[in-house]
Amino acid sequence: MINALIAEALKLRRSLVLLVAATPPVMVFALGVLIVASGNGPEEWTMQTMAGSAIWAFFLLPMSVIGITALIAQLEHGPNTWSHTLALPVPRWQVFAAKVLVTLGLMAVVSFAVALAGWASVPVGLQFGDDLEMAGQFDPGLALQLYGKMFIAGLLVMAIQWTLAMRFRSFAAPVSIGIGGTFVAVAAASAEQGLYFPWLMPVNVLASEGSRGELAVMMGGLGGLIVFTLAIIWMSRRDWG
Amino acid sequence: MTETVLTLQGVTLRYGKLTALDGVDLAIPSGAIYGFLGPNGAGKTTAIRCAMGLLTPQSGRVAIGGHDLKRNRRKALASVGAVIETPALFPNLTGRENLDVTRRLIGARPAQIDRALELVDMRDAAKRRVGHYSLGMKQRMGLARALLAEPRLLILDEPTNGLDPAGIRDMRALIRDLPTRTGATIFMSSHLLSEVEQIATHVGLLQHGRVLFDGSLDDLSRQQTPRLIVEASPADNAAAVIAGAGFANAIREGDRFTLADADALTTERAAALNAALHAAGCAVSELRLERADLETTFMTLTAQPEDAA
Repeated sequence: MINALIAEALKLRRSLVLLVAATPPVMVFALGVLIVASGNGPEEWTMQTMAGSAIWAFFLLPMSVIGITALIAQLEHGPNTWSHTLALPVPRWQVFAAKVLVTLGLMAVVSFAVALAGWASVPVGLQFGDDLEMAGQFDPGLALQLYGKMFIAGLLVMAIQWTLAMRFRSFAAPVSIGIGGTFVAVAAASAEQGLYFPWLMPVNVLASEGSRGELAVMMGGLGGLIVFTLAIIWMSRRDWG
Repeated sequence: MTETVLTLQGVTLRYGKLTALDGVDLAIPSGAIYGFLGPNGAGKTTAIRCAMGLLTPQSGRVAIGGHDLKRNRRKALASVGAVIETPALFPNLTGRENLDVTRRLIGARPAQIDRALELVDMRDAAKRRVGHYSLGMKQRMGLARALLAEPRLLILDEPTNGLDPAGIRDMRALIRDLPTRTGATIFMSSHLLSEVEQIATHVGLLQHGRVLFDGSLDDLSRQQTPRLIVEASPADNAAAVIAGAGFANAIREGDRFTLADADALTTERAAALNAALHAAGCAVSELRLERADLETTFMTLTAQPEDAA
Protein backbone atom coordinates (compact mmCIF):
# COMPACT_ATOMS: atom_id res chain seq x y z
CA MET A 1 0.00 0.00 0.00
CA ILE A 2 2.91 2.34 0.80
CA ASN A 3 4.33 1.67 -2.67
CA ALA A 4 0.97 2.43 -4.26
CA LEU A 5 0.83 5.70 -2.33
CA ILE A 6 4.34 6.71 -3.42
CA ALA A 7 3.49 5.79 -7.01
CA GLU A 8 0.36 7.96 -6.91
CA ALA A 9 2.28 10.85 -5.39
CA LEU A 10 4.97 10.52 -8.09
CA LYS A 11 2.35 10.98 -10.80
CA LEU A 12 1.70 14.52 -9.53
CA ARG A 13 5.17 15.76 -10.47
CA ARG A 14 5.09 18.70 -12.88
CA SER A 15 1.32 18.25 -13.23
CA LEU A 16 -1.41 20.89 -13.30
CA VAL A 17 -2.80 19.42 -10.08
CA LEU A 18 -0.11 21.22 -8.09
CA LEU A 19 -0.85 24.51 -9.85
CA VAL A 20 -4.54 24.22 -9.01
CA ALA A 21 -3.69 23.27 -5.42
CA ALA A 22 -1.51 26.39 -5.07
CA THR A 23 -4.23 28.74 -6.33
CA PRO A 24 -6.60 28.91 -3.30
CA PRO A 25 -3.97 29.98 -0.72
CA VAL A 26 -2.58 32.57 -3.14
CA MET A 27 -6.08 33.95 -3.78
CA VAL A 28 -6.95 34.01 -0.06
CA PHE A 29 -3.70 35.81 0.69
CA ALA A 30 -4.21 38.39 -2.08
CA LEU A 31 -7.85 38.99 -1.19
CA GLY A 32 -7.01 39.15 2.53
CA VAL A 33 -4.29 41.77 1.95
CA LEU A 34 -6.66 43.92 -0.14
CA ILE A 35 -9.51 43.70 2.38
CA VAL A 36 -7.32 44.46 5.38
CA ALA A 37 -5.53 47.30 3.57
CA SER A 38 -8.86 48.84 2.53
CA GLY A 39 -9.87 49.12 6.16
CA ASN A 40 -13.30 47.63 5.38
CA GLY A 41 -12.61 44.20 6.77
CA PRO A 42 -13.07 42.81 10.27
CA GLU A 43 -11.08 44.64 12.92
CA GLU A 44 -10.76 41.74 15.28
CA TRP A 45 -8.76 38.52 14.85
CA THR A 46 -11.57 36.05 15.61
CA MET A 47 -13.91 37.68 13.10
CA GLN A 48 -11.09 37.89 10.59
CA THR A 49 -10.36 34.15 10.97
CA MET A 50 -14.04 33.26 10.59
CA ALA A 51 -14.51 35.53 7.57
CA GLY A 52 -11.53 33.92 5.84
CA SER A 53 -12.80 30.43 6.56
CA ALA A 54 -16.27 31.37 5.25
CA ILE A 55 -14.83 32.26 1.83
CA TRP A 56 -13.05 28.92 1.87
CA ALA A 57 -16.12 26.89 2.88
CA PHE A 58 -18.57 28.63 0.57
CA PHE A 59 -16.61 28.85 -2.62
CA LEU A 60 -12.94 27.95 -2.66
CA LEU A 61 -13.23 24.53 -1.00
CA PRO A 62 -15.82 23.13 -3.45
CA MET A 63 -14.00 24.72 -6.41
CA SER A 64 -10.66 23.29 -5.22
CA VAL A 65 -12.29 19.86 -4.87
CA ILE A 66 -13.64 20.10 -8.43
CA GLY A 67 -10.25 21.08 -9.84
CA ILE A 68 -8.09 18.69 -7.85
CA THR A 69 -10.27 15.59 -8.27
CA ALA A 70 -10.80 16.25 -11.98
CA LEU A 71 -7.09 16.77 -12.64
CA ILE A 72 -6.01 13.77 -10.59
CA ALA A 73 -8.45 11.64 -12.57
CA GLN A 74 -7.29 13.21 -15.85
CA LEU A 75 -3.72 12.09 -15.08
CA GLU A 76 -5.05 8.59 -15.90
CA HIS A 77 -7.90 9.42 -18.30
CA GLY A 78 -5.78 11.75 -20.45
CA PRO A 79 -3.05 9.36 -21.61
CA ASN A 80 -5.43 6.39 -21.06
CA THR A 81 -3.18 4.71 -18.53
CA TRP A 82 -6.02 2.85 -16.77
CA SER A 83 -5.47 -0.24 -18.92
CA HIS A 84 -1.85 -0.38 -17.85
CA THR A 85 -2.36 0.44 -14.18
CA LEU A 86 -5.29 -1.90 -13.62
CA ALA A 87 -3.66 -4.82 -15.45
CA LEU A 88 -0.75 -4.84 -13.00
CA PRO A 89 -0.53 -7.63 -10.42
CA VAL A 90 -1.61 -5.25 -7.66
CA PRO A 91 -4.92 -5.37 -5.77
CA ARG A 92 -7.09 -2.83 -7.53
CA TRP A 93 -8.54 -1.51 -4.29
CA GLN A 94 -5.01 -0.42 -3.34
CA VAL A 95 -4.68 1.62 -6.53
CA PHE A 96 -7.96 3.42 -5.87
CA ALA A 97 -7.40 3.74 -2.12
CA ALA A 98 -4.02 5.35 -2.85
CA LYS A 99 -5.74 7.81 -5.18
CA VAL A 100 -8.25 8.68 -2.45
CA LEU A 101 -5.49 9.21 0.11
CA VAL A 102 -3.46 11.39 -2.25
CA THR A 103 -6.58 13.47 -2.99
CA LEU A 104 -7.38 13.85 0.70
CA GLY A 105 -3.76 14.60 1.53
CA LEU A 106 -3.65 17.33 -1.08
CA MET A 107 -6.94 18.81 0.13
CA ALA A 108 -5.64 18.77 3.71
CA VAL A 109 -2.46 20.56 2.65
CA VAL A 110 -4.50 23.15 0.70
CA SER A 111 -6.82 23.66 3.72
CA PHE A 112 -3.83 24.25 5.97
CA ALA A 113 -2.20 26.55 3.42
CA VAL A 114 -5.41 28.58 3.10
CA ALA A 115 -5.59 28.95 6.90
CA LEU A 116 -1.96 30.05 6.90
CA ALA A 117 -2.54 32.47 4.02
CA GLY A 118 -5.52 33.99 5.86
CA TRP A 119 -3.32 34.66 8.87
CA ALA A 120 -0.35 35.95 6.84
CA SER A 121 -2.49 38.36 4.84
CA VAL A 122 -3.31 40.41 7.96
CA PRO A 123 0.15 41.75 8.91
CA VAL A 124 0.94 42.38 5.23
CA GLY A 125 -2.39 44.20 4.69
CA LEU A 126 -1.86 46.32 7.78
CA GLN A 127 1.40 47.60 6.27
CA PHE A 128 -0.48 49.10 3.32
CA GLY A 129 -3.16 50.93 5.34
CA ASP A 130 -3.01 54.01 7.52
CA ASP A 131 -3.49 53.59 11.26
CA LEU A 132 -4.96 50.13 10.86
CA GLU A 133 -5.01 47.67 13.71
CA MET A 134 -6.35 44.20 14.33
CA ALA A 135 -7.71 43.80 17.81
CA GLY A 136 -6.93 40.74 19.88
CA GLN A 137 -4.61 37.87 19.09
CA PHE A 138 -4.56 35.35 16.30
CA ASP A 139 -5.85 32.05 17.74
CA PRO A 140 -4.19 29.19 15.81
CA GLY A 141 -6.32 26.67 17.72
CA LEU A 142 -9.53 28.29 16.45
CA ALA A 143 -8.20 28.39 12.88
CA LEU A 144 -7.15 24.74 12.95
CA GLN A 145 -10.47 23.73 14.48
CA LEU A 146 -12.50 25.63 11.89
CA TYR A 147 -10.54 24.45 8.86
CA GLY A 148 -10.29 20.92 10.27
CA LYS A 149 -14.04 20.69 10.79
CA MET A 150 -14.66 22.10 7.32
CA PHE A 151 -12.34 19.47 5.88
CA ILE A 152 -14.26 16.68 7.61
CA ALA A 153 -17.65 18.17 6.73
CA GLY A 154 -16.42 18.48 3.12
CA LEU A 155 -15.51 14.78 2.84
CA LEU A 156 -18.88 13.91 1.30
CA VAL A 157 -18.43 16.52 -1.45
CA MET A 158 -14.88 15.29 -2.01
CA ALA A 159 -16.12 11.69 -2.28
CA ILE A 160 -18.89 12.62 -4.74
CA GLN A 161 -16.55 14.69 -6.93
CA TRP A 162 -13.78 12.06 -6.77
CA THR A 163 -16.14 9.27 -7.82
CA LEU A 164 -17.55 11.26 -10.73
CA ALA A 165 -14.10 12.33 -11.86
CA MET A 166 -12.74 8.78 -11.82
CA ARG A 167 -15.83 7.29 -13.46
CA PHE A 168 -16.17 9.64 -16.43
CA ARG A 169 -13.40 10.02 -19.00
CA SER A 170 -14.57 13.54 -19.78
CA PHE A 171 -14.27 16.13 -17.03
CA ALA A 172 -17.52 17.76 -18.20
CA ALA A 173 -19.75 15.68 -15.90
CA PRO A 174 -17.87 16.17 -12.61
CA VAL A 175 -17.14 19.85 -13.30
CA SER A 176 -20.76 20.60 -14.26
CA ILE A 177 -22.13 18.85 -11.19
CA GLY A 178 -19.56 20.56 -8.98
CA ILE A 179 -20.35 24.03 -10.32
CA GLY A 180 -24.07 23.28 -10.04
CA GLY A 181 -23.66 22.10 -6.45
CA THR A 182 -21.65 25.20 -5.51
CA PHE A 183 -24.23 27.48 -7.11
CA VAL A 184 -27.14 25.80 -5.33
CA ALA A 185 -25.19 26.01 -2.07
CA VAL A 186 -24.75 29.78 -2.44
CA ALA A 187 -28.41 30.21 -3.38
CA ALA A 188 -29.69 28.00 -0.55
CA ALA A 189 -27.22 29.02 2.12
CA SER A 190 -29.80 30.15 4.62
CA ALA A 191 -32.34 27.39 3.95
CA GLU A 192 -33.27 25.19 6.90
CA GLN A 193 -32.80 22.01 4.86
CA GLY A 194 -29.48 23.26 3.50
CA LEU A 195 -27.77 21.31 6.25
CA TYR A 196 -28.45 18.11 4.34
CA PHE A 197 -27.04 19.41 1.06
CA PRO A 198 -23.46 18.07 0.72
CA TRP A 199 -22.06 21.32 -0.71
CA LEU A 200 -23.40 23.26 2.30
CA MET A 201 -22.03 20.97 5.00
CA PRO A 202 -18.65 22.77 5.29
CA VAL A 203 -20.48 26.13 5.52
CA ASN A 204 -22.65 24.85 8.35
CA VAL A 205 -19.53 24.48 10.51
CA LEU A 206 -19.88 28.26 10.97
CA ALA A 207 -23.55 28.03 12.04
CA SER A 208 -24.37 29.97 15.17
CA GLU A 209 -26.16 26.92 16.57
CA GLY A 210 -23.39 24.60 17.71
CA SER A 211 -25.45 21.44 17.15
CA ARG A 212 -25.96 22.31 13.49
CA GLY A 213 -22.21 22.52 12.97
CA GLU A 214 -21.60 19.22 14.79
CA LEU A 215 -24.29 17.51 12.68
CA ALA A 216 -22.72 18.86 9.47
CA VAL A 217 -19.31 17.49 10.49
CA MET A 218 -20.81 14.10 11.38
CA MET A 219 -22.90 13.77 8.22
CA GLY A 220 -20.18 15.05 5.91
CA GLY A 221 -17.51 12.89 7.53
CA LEU A 222 -19.49 9.67 7.75
CA GLY A 223 -21.14 10.21 4.38
CA GLY A 224 -17.75 10.83 2.80
CA LEU A 225 -16.22 7.69 4.29
CA ILE A 226 -19.19 5.60 3.12
CA VAL A 227 -19.16 7.02 -0.42
CA PHE A 228 -15.37 6.66 -0.71
CA THR A 229 -15.54 3.03 0.47
CA LEU A 230 -18.38 2.12 -1.89
CA ALA A 231 -16.63 3.89 -4.79
CA ILE A 232 -13.38 1.98 -4.19
CA ILE A 233 -15.23 -1.35 -4.05
CA TRP A 234 -17.26 -0.57 -7.17
CA MET A 235 -14.30 0.67 -9.22
CA SER A 236 -12.17 -2.28 -8.19
CA ARG A 237 -14.81 -4.67 -9.52
CA ARG A 238 -16.05 -2.98 -12.66
CA ASP A 239 -14.76 -3.65 -16.16
CA TRP A 240 -12.36 -1.13 -17.66
CA GLY A 241 -12.92 -1.39 -21.41
CA MET B 1 4.02 -31.61 -24.92
CA THR B 2 4.67 -27.87 -25.38
CA GLU B 3 3.93 -25.76 -22.33
CA THR B 4 1.16 -23.23 -22.81
CA VAL B 5 1.73 -19.76 -21.38
CA LEU B 6 -1.66 -18.23 -22.12
CA THR B 7 -4.91 -20.12 -22.61
CA LEU B 8 -8.31 -18.79 -23.54
CA GLN B 9 -11.05 -21.41 -23.42
CA GLY B 10 -14.50 -20.68 -24.77
CA VAL B 11 -14.25 -16.98 -23.95
CA THR B 12 -17.48 -15.23 -24.86
CA LEU B 13 -18.14 -11.56 -24.32
CA ARG B 14 -21.34 -9.79 -25.28
CA TYR B 15 -22.31 -6.13 -25.17
CA GLY B 16 -26.09 -6.34 -25.25
CA LYS B 17 -26.96 -7.97 -28.56
CA LEU B 18 -23.45 -7.58 -29.96
CA THR B 19 -21.20 -10.59 -29.53
CA ALA B 20 -17.65 -9.22 -29.35
CA LEU B 21 -16.02 -12.59 -28.64
CA ASP B 22 -17.72 -15.84 -29.53
CA GLY B 23 -16.25 -18.87 -27.79
CA VAL B 24 -12.64 -17.85 -28.34
CA ASP B 25 -10.14 -20.68 -27.84
CA LEU B 26 -6.45 -19.84 -27.98
CA ALA B 27 -3.35 -21.59 -26.73
CA ILE B 28 -0.07 -19.66 -26.78
CA PRO B 29 2.91 -22.02 -26.58
CA SER B 30 5.92 -21.08 -24.50
CA GLY B 31 8.75 -19.47 -26.45
CA ALA B 32 6.58 -18.55 -29.42
CA ILE B 33 6.12 -15.25 -31.15
CA TYR B 34 2.38 -15.47 -31.60
CA GLY B 35 0.80 -13.18 -34.17
CA PHE B 36 -2.83 -12.48 -33.37
CA LEU B 37 -4.31 -11.46 -36.69
CA GLY B 38 -7.61 -10.00 -37.67
CA PRO B 39 -9.13 -7.05 -39.46
CA ASN B 40 -9.95 -3.89 -37.51
CA GLY B 41 -12.94 -4.54 -35.28
CA ALA B 42 -12.42 -8.31 -35.23
CA GLY B 43 -12.13 -8.33 -31.45
CA LYS B 44 -8.34 -8.57 -30.97
CA THR B 45 -8.06 -5.81 -28.38
CA THR B 46 -11.19 -7.08 -26.61
CA ALA B 47 -9.62 -10.54 -26.38
CA ILE B 48 -6.42 -9.00 -25.00
CA ARG B 49 -8.41 -7.02 -22.44
CA CYS B 50 -10.11 -10.25 -21.35
CA ALA B 51 -6.70 -11.91 -21.12
CA MET B 52 -5.49 -9.07 -18.87
CA GLY B 53 -8.58 -9.13 -16.65
CA LEU B 54 -9.75 -5.69 -17.74
CA LEU B 55 -12.96 -7.14 -19.15
CA THR B 56 -14.90 -10.01 -17.62
CA PRO B 57 -16.32 -12.44 -20.18
CA GLN B 58 -19.80 -13.86 -19.62
CA SER B 59 -18.41 -17.35 -20.07
CA GLY B 60 -15.11 -19.10 -20.64
CA ARG B 61 -11.80 -19.24 -18.84
CA VAL B 62 -8.46 -17.43 -19.07
CA ALA B 63 -5.31 -18.93 -17.59
CA ILE B 64 -1.82 -17.42 -17.57
CA GLY B 65 1.13 -19.59 -16.63
CA GLY B 66 -1.33 -22.18 -15.33
CA HIS B 67 -3.04 -19.70 -12.99
CA ASP B 68 -6.73 -19.06 -13.47
CA LEU B 69 -7.16 -15.32 -14.01
CA LYS B 70 -10.49 -15.13 -12.19
CA ARG B 71 -9.44 -17.08 -9.10
CA ASN B 72 -5.83 -16.03 -8.87
CA ARG B 73 -5.56 -12.69 -10.65
CA ARG B 74 -2.35 -11.45 -9.01
CA LYS B 75 -0.37 -14.66 -9.59
CA ALA B 76 -1.64 -14.88 -13.16
CA LEU B 77 -0.70 -11.28 -13.99
CA ALA B 78 2.63 -11.41 -12.16
CA SER B 79 4.26 -13.08 -15.16
CA VAL B 80 2.79 -10.75 -17.79
CA GLY B 81 3.94 -7.47 -19.28
CA ALA B 82 1.66 -5.67 -21.69
CA VAL B 83 1.35 -2.70 -23.98
CA ILE B 84 -2.35 -2.38 -24.72
CA GLU B 85 -3.38 -0.18 -27.65
CA THR B 86 -1.27 2.98 -27.45
CA PRO B 87 1.75 3.09 -25.14
CA ALA B 88 -0.06 5.04 -22.41
CA LEU B 89 2.55 6.96 -20.43
CA PHE B 90 2.33 9.97 -18.13
CA PRO B 91 3.45 12.90 -20.32
CA ASN B 92 4.39 15.10 -17.34
CA LEU B 93 6.96 12.54 -16.15
CA THR B 94 10.28 11.52 -17.65
CA GLY B 95 10.70 8.05 -19.12
CA ARG B 96 12.57 6.89 -16.02
CA GLU B 97 9.90 8.33 -13.71
CA ASN B 98 7.22 6.52 -15.70
CA LEU B 99 9.06 3.25 -15.16
CA ASP B 100 9.56 4.10 -11.49
CA VAL B 101 5.79 4.49 -10.98
CA THR B 102 5.21 0.97 -12.31
CA ARG B 103 8.28 -0.42 -10.55
CA ARG B 104 6.95 0.73 -7.20
CA LEU B 105 3.49 -0.67 -7.88
CA ILE B 106 4.81 -4.13 -8.77
CA GLY B 107 7.59 -4.08 -6.18
CA ALA B 108 10.45 -4.55 -8.64
CA ARG B 109 14.09 -3.68 -7.88
CA PRO B 110 15.43 -0.26 -9.07
CA ALA B 111 18.07 -2.05 -11.15
CA GLN B 112 15.30 -3.50 -13.31
CA ILE B 113 14.63 -0.04 -14.70
CA ASP B 114 18.16 0.14 -16.16
CA ARG B 115 17.88 -3.38 -17.53
CA ALA B 116 14.55 -2.60 -19.22
CA LEU B 117 15.89 0.66 -20.67
CA GLU B 118 18.93 -1.21 -21.97
CA LEU B 119 16.75 -3.81 -23.67
CA VAL B 120 14.86 -1.21 -25.68
CA ASP B 121 17.88 1.07 -26.16
CA MET B 122 16.31 4.05 -24.38
CA ARG B 123 18.85 4.81 -21.64
CA ASP B 124 19.86 8.13 -23.16
CA ALA B 125 16.32 9.40 -23.54
CA ALA B 126 15.11 8.24 -20.13
CA LYS B 127 15.70 11.62 -18.48
CA ARG B 128 13.53 13.48 -20.98
CA ARG B 129 9.85 14.14 -20.38
CA VAL B 130 7.63 11.66 -22.22
CA GLY B 131 5.53 14.53 -23.55
CA HIS B 132 8.49 15.39 -25.80
CA TYR B 133 8.94 11.84 -27.13
CA SER B 134 8.17 10.73 -30.69
CA LEU B 135 5.64 7.92 -31.10
CA GLY B 136 8.45 5.46 -31.75
CA MET B 137 10.15 6.44 -28.49
CA LYS B 138 6.85 6.10 -26.63
CA GLN B 139 6.43 2.62 -28.08
CA ARG B 140 9.90 1.68 -26.88
CA MET B 141 9.32 3.17 -23.44
CA GLY B 142 5.97 1.35 -23.22
CA LEU B 143 7.82 -1.83 -24.08
CA ALA B 144 10.45 -1.10 -21.41
CA ARG B 145 7.69 -0.66 -18.84
CA ALA B 146 6.14 -3.97 -19.90
CA LEU B 147 9.54 -5.64 -19.47
CA LEU B 148 10.05 -4.31 -15.93
CA ALA B 149 8.56 -7.37 -14.26
CA GLU B 150 10.80 -9.66 -16.35
CA PRO B 151 7.65 -11.26 -17.76
CA ARG B 152 7.28 -14.76 -19.16
CA LEU B 153 4.56 -13.45 -21.45
CA LEU B 154 4.69 -10.15 -23.26
CA ILE B 155 1.42 -8.94 -24.75
CA LEU B 156 1.74 -6.27 -27.44
CA ASP B 157 -1.35 -4.76 -29.01
CA GLU B 158 -0.58 -3.44 -32.49
CA PRO B 159 3.00 -2.48 -31.55
CA THR B 160 3.85 -0.86 -34.88
CA ASN B 161 0.66 1.14 -35.21
CA GLY B 162 1.34 4.70 -36.33
CA LEU B 163 5.10 4.24 -36.74
CA ASP B 164 6.98 5.38 -39.83
CA PRO B 165 8.68 2.73 -41.98
CA ALA B 166 12.00 3.07 -40.14
CA GLY B 167 10.23 2.85 -36.80
CA ILE B 168 8.32 -0.23 -37.94
CA ARG B 169 11.56 -1.90 -39.04
CA ASP B 170 13.27 -1.11 -35.71
CA MET B 171 10.32 -2.26 -33.62
CA ARG B 172 10.04 -5.45 -35.64
CA ALA B 173 13.73 -6.22 -35.09
CA LEU B 174 13.38 -5.48 -31.39
CA ILE B 175 10.37 -7.79 -31.00
CA ARG B 176 12.05 -10.54 -33.00
CA ASP B 177 15.04 -10.49 -30.64
CA LEU B 178 13.12 -10.32 -27.39
CA PRO B 179 12.45 -14.04 -26.87
CA THR B 180 16.19 -14.72 -27.14
CA ARG B 181 17.22 -11.78 -24.96
CA THR B 182 14.55 -12.09 -22.27
CA GLY B 183 13.10 -15.58 -22.58
CA ALA B 184 9.63 -14.10 -22.93
CA THR B 185 6.87 -15.48 -25.10
CA ILE B 186 5.42 -12.78 -27.32
CA PHE B 187 1.70 -12.45 -28.00
CA MET B 188 1.32 -9.70 -30.57
CA SER B 189 -1.86 -8.49 -32.22
CA SER B 190 -1.79 -6.92 -35.64
CA HIS B 191 -3.95 -6.30 -38.65
CA LEU B 192 -0.86 -6.28 -40.87
CA LEU B 193 -0.39 -9.70 -42.41
CA SER B 194 3.06 -8.98 -43.74
CA GLU B 195 4.26 -7.93 -40.31
CA VAL B 196 3.09 -11.12 -38.63
CA GLU B 197 4.48 -13.23 -41.46
CA GLN B 198 7.92 -11.69 -40.90
CA ILE B 199 8.03 -12.09 -37.15
CA ALA B 200 5.69 -14.78 -35.92
CA THR B 201 6.19 -18.47 -35.40
CA HIS B 202 2.54 -19.05 -34.55
CA VAL B 203 -0.64 -17.30 -35.58
CA GLY B 204 -4.22 -16.95 -34.53
CA LEU B 205 -6.83 -15.60 -36.93
CA LEU B 206 -9.82 -13.79 -35.52
CA GLN B 207 -12.83 -12.50 -37.39
CA HIS B 208 -16.15 -11.26 -36.01
CA GLY B 209 -15.02 -12.43 -32.57
CA ARG B 210 -14.43 -16.01 -33.71
CA VAL B 211 -11.12 -17.83 -34.01
CA LEU B 212 -10.68 -19.15 -37.53
CA PHE B 213 -7.23 -20.60 -36.98
CA ASP B 214 -4.83 -21.15 -34.08
CA GLY B 215 -1.52 -22.88 -34.75
CA SER B 216 1.94 -22.58 -36.24
CA LEU B 217 2.68 -20.56 -39.35
CA ASP B 218 3.58 -23.78 -41.18
CA ASP B 219 0.25 -25.33 -40.22
CA LEU B 220 -1.46 -22.26 -41.59
CA SER B 221 0.42 -22.44 -44.88
CA ARG B 222 -0.64 -26.06 -45.24
CA GLN B 223 -4.26 -24.95 -44.99
CA GLN B 224 -3.94 -23.17 -48.30
CA THR B 225 -3.73 -25.28 -51.43
CA PRO B 226 -1.00 -24.23 -53.86
CA ARG B 227 -1.96 -22.90 -57.28
CA LEU B 228 -0.46 -23.56 -60.68
CA ILE B 229 -0.24 -20.51 -62.89
CA VAL B 230 -0.04 -21.23 -66.62
CA GLU B 231 0.24 -18.72 -69.45
CA ALA B 232 0.08 -20.32 -72.87
CA SER B 233 -1.16 -19.56 -76.37
CA PRO B 234 -3.14 -20.21 -78.35
CA ALA B 235 -5.44 -20.22 -75.34
CA ASP B 236 -8.12 -22.48 -76.82
CA ASN B 237 -5.57 -25.21 -77.54
CA ALA B 238 -4.05 -24.75 -74.09
CA ALA B 239 -7.50 -25.02 -72.45
CA ALA B 240 -8.12 -28.29 -74.26
CA VAL B 241 -4.74 -29.68 -73.18
CA ILE B 242 -5.31 -28.59 -69.56
CA ALA B 243 -8.75 -30.22 -69.50
CA GLY B 244 -7.34 -33.33 -71.14
CA ALA B 245 -4.61 -33.53 -68.52
CA GLY B 246 -7.23 -33.89 -65.83
CA PHE B 247 -7.09 -30.44 -64.22
CA ALA B 248 -10.60 -29.56 -63.14
CA ASN B 249 -11.92 -26.06 -62.37
CA ALA B 250 -9.28 -24.08 -64.25
CA ILE B 251 -9.87 -20.35 -64.15
CA ARG B 252 -9.14 -18.73 -67.50
CA GLU B 253 -8.30 -15.08 -68.03
CA GLY B 254 -7.18 -14.58 -71.63
CA ASP B 255 -4.03 -16.66 -72.08
CA ARG B 256 -3.65 -17.11 -68.34
CA PHE B 257 -4.94 -20.13 -66.44
CA THR B 258 -5.07 -20.60 -62.68
CA LEU B 259 -5.30 -24.22 -61.62
CA ALA B 260 -6.31 -24.83 -58.01
CA ASP B 261 -6.99 -28.52 -57.98
CA ALA B 262 -5.37 -29.62 -54.72
CA ASP B 263 -5.00 -33.30 -55.62
CA ALA B 264 -3.52 -32.63 -59.06
CA LEU B 265 -0.89 -30.06 -58.09
CA THR B 266 2.43 -31.86 -57.85
CA THR B 267 5.67 -30.88 -59.52
CA GLU B 268 5.49 -34.06 -61.63
CA ARG B 269 2.02 -33.19 -62.90
CA ALA B 270 3.16 -29.65 -63.65
CA ALA B 271 6.11 -30.96 -65.69
CA ALA B 272 3.84 -33.37 -67.54
CA LEU B 273 1.42 -30.56 -68.35
CA ASN B 274 4.27 -28.43 -69.66
CA ALA B 275 5.36 -31.25 -71.98
CA ALA B 276 1.78 -31.82 -73.18
CA LEU B 277 1.35 -28.12 -73.97
CA HIS B 278 4.59 -28.10 -76.00
CA ALA B 279 3.55 -31.27 -77.82
CA ALA B 280 0.24 -29.60 -78.74
CA GLY B 281 2.12 -26.65 -80.22
CA CYS B 282 1.34 -24.19 -77.46
CA ALA B 283 3.84 -21.50 -76.59
CA VAL B 284 4.20 -21.55 -72.80
CA SER B 285 5.39 -18.20 -71.48
CA GLU B 286 4.80 -18.97 -67.79
CA LEU B 287 4.27 -22.04 -65.68
CA ARG B 288 4.85 -21.89 -61.97
CA LEU B 289 3.58 -23.42 -58.75
CA GLU B 290 2.60 -20.59 -56.46
CA ARG B 291 3.15 -21.06 -52.73
CA ALA B 292 0.36 -19.58 -50.66
CA ASP B 293 1.41 -16.53 -48.69
CA LEU B 294 -0.23 -15.57 -45.45
CA GLU B 295 -2.39 -12.97 -47.12
CA THR B 296 -3.88 -15.49 -49.54
CA THR B 297 -4.47 -17.94 -46.73
CA PHE B 298 -5.98 -15.25 -44.56
CA MET B 299 -8.27 -14.07 -47.34
CA THR B 300 -9.36 -17.64 -48.00
CA LEU B 301 -10.09 -18.34 -44.36
CA THR B 302 -11.88 -15.08 -43.71
CA ALA B 303 -13.92 -15.45 -46.88
CA GLN B 304 -15.17 -18.89 -45.85
CA PRO B 305 -15.33 -18.92 -42.06
CA GLU B 306 -17.72 -21.87 -41.87
CA ASP B 307 -15.60 -24.07 -44.14
CA ALA B 308 -12.36 -23.07 -42.46
CA ALA B 309 -13.40 -24.18 -38.99
